Amino acid sequence: MRRVFIGLVVIAVLAWLAYNWTRRSAHPPKMEAAVADSATAGVKAARLFFGAANGDSLVAESREMIEATGLHDRVAALVAELDRGPRARGVAVLPAGTSVLRVFLDDRGLMTLDLSGAFRQRFRGGASAEYLAVASLIRTIGANIPEAKQVLIICAGRPLATLGGHLPLDRPLDVADWP
Amino acid sequence: MKGAAWIALLVALFTGVLASASDWRSPPPGEGPETVIVRTLEGRPYIAVNDLARLIDATKFWRADVRRLVLRTSAHTIVLTADNPFVVVDERTFWLRDPVRSQGGEFQIPVALVDSLPPDSALARLTYDARRGRVVVLPVSGGVGSPKVTLDGAVTRVVVPADHAEEALVVTRGRARFRVRFGGVFLGALPDSVPPGALVSEIRTIVAAGGSAFEMTMSPEAIGYRLLQDTGRRRVTLEVTRERGEGFESFAPETPPGERPLRVVVIDPAHGGADAGVVSGHAVEKNLTLDLARRLEGELEQQGIHVVLTRNDDRSVPAETRAELANRLHADLVIAIHFDGYVDPHARGATAFCPPASPTEDRLSDDEDASTPAAPASGPGRVVLLPWRDVSTRHAVQSRDLAEAVLSALELRGQGPTRLRERLPYDLLGVNAPGILLECATLTAPDDRDRVLQEEGMRQLAASIAEGISAYRRSQ
Repeated sequence: MRRVFIGLVVIAVLAWLAYNWTRRSAHPPKMEAAVADSATAGVKAARLFFGAANGDSLVAESREMIEATGLHDRVAALVAELDRGPRARGVAVLPAGTSVLRVFLDDRGLMTLDLSGAFRQRFRGGASAEYLAVASLIRTIGANIPEAKQVLIICAGRPLATLGGHLPLDRPLDVADWP
Repeated sequence: MKGAAWIALLVALFTGVLASASDWRSPPPGEGPETVIVRTLEGRPYIAVNDLARLIDATKFWRADVRRLVLRTSAHTIVLTADNPFVVVDERTFWLRDPVRSQGGEFQIPVALVDSLPPDSALARLTYDARRGRVVVLPVSGGVGSPKVTLDGAVTRVVVPADHAEEALVVTRGRARFRVRFGGVFLGALPDSVPPGALVSEIRTIVAAGGSAFEMTMSPEAIGYRLLQDTGRRRVTLEVTRERGEGFESFAPETPPGERPLRVVVIDPAHGGADAGVVSGHAVEKNLTLDLARRLEGELEQQGIHVVLTRNDDRSVPAETRAELANRLHADLVIAIHFDGYVDPHARGATAFCPPASPTEDRLSDDEDASTPAAPASGPGRVVLLPWRDVSTRHAVQSRDLAEAVLSALELRGQGPTRLRERLPYDLLGVNAPGILLECATLTAPDDRDRVLQEEGMRQLAASIAEGISAYRRSQ
């Protein structure tokens, strides 16, 4: 009887520990507010979009980032976070190693975004992967750089007709057109 | 002792279930308008400062010595102090009745602050939706209220309050799916019913980034519509008529009832040559697309349809050549066959991409030669030139019908899940025919891959697609 009791208690404790362990894995601790303890360095929440695991849609994630100044640094920081991948749900859909080379924004809100060669060279997948990679990029820029109304993606300084042969990228993409 | 052990076990399990249940209540990361959930502290509504900072795009500066947090936007500054009900917004001080609280390392702000923020264009407009318990960001284009349907003789009116009525736009004018897009966020409620005899039914909201959109079904009796934008009274009125009248525009042309003529179908086995497409395990996309295209050719020729493949061996064919072939043959349908691949093996099933019914498509009659531009529809039409690259958008209605018919056949035979995306695919650039890009299965999903690597799996896939094309042909 005593052994049965000890066995049951051990099972209960293990179940509890296992639950807490999986819970921590699935939900990393929320970042605390205003962790910056300086009055000069600002912290800002960025809204990032990653692919859903089932490939149906995008999932949004807010992430605290040290505020970048200048358009290039702001966009580069966002793309770097997309490249790092999600901390909660979803999957990184931007081709690994993608970074920003140059960014131009004209007075009509057309952003020309020059991405590194990895964007095209490391892309793998079909139309869903291509759609969500582009959507992730455009939605993230639209959510965090409100002055950008359209985005023209180029790669390594050259025009890019398509990423993987499924969607045309030869024209600027309307930010409002990627739900 | 034994009873105590059981109780310990049950308590542990029950606590785990309760804790996981609280996760289920967590708000899902949202698409569409940005919102945050309002929490209640001592019976009063509060918003977390991280959420507030994100909504108004503010940078946070923390002064630990005086427990003060400064939110700074491009034009405004908000100063919050722990346990203090006074908040300084720029040069003005507001009393919020309830104090700013610090909980779990995060400031909680009384939601009343939302009404004290400067109502200028430099700051996102926030509104507290007490009914749903959330704070919503109103974009620059404002909000959109509840649509109201009324009848006035031969005309049915759908009146929608909208802060920026001038941004309303008809984006799809097919009777089955008539869509109107607004710049603002939808904050109202849909009508439970419409008056008997109304020409509009089944009003529903659909996802639209940076705004909102309504989709509705038009009665077959409806012959025209017009969109009236009243910026002064901030409302948009969609008038739908059953009688001919001045200023009304016609709906998208629909295929006449009965069988659609299908003489020539062009099947494009995507990739080829050095371009292998998706490679997953033993599955190579370029080989599978060619195999499936040949099987589909056999299925369709049994229906008396002449089928042309854009390639019949392992070689790469430029996109322009594929489009040129389809146009030269006056194809009645073009189907680009693909197999999908994704970064996560949980993604599976089939996806169809079809050209969207763009606003530019509205101005061209479907039956006319696209080289005859500027034939305005009835009403105050504008002349819009359609680039040849986008010519397949002229066939958006039929393309969507085809996509739905094929996806439905795949679902019925258990080859789903399926999804439909209205986005112009690369394979249909410059193709002057109804068409779709069809990702027939997902090779990175083990179940899908195993299925299409088997003879029977491919045979059934070809049969399903042929069945879908047959249903499209019968206008079902």
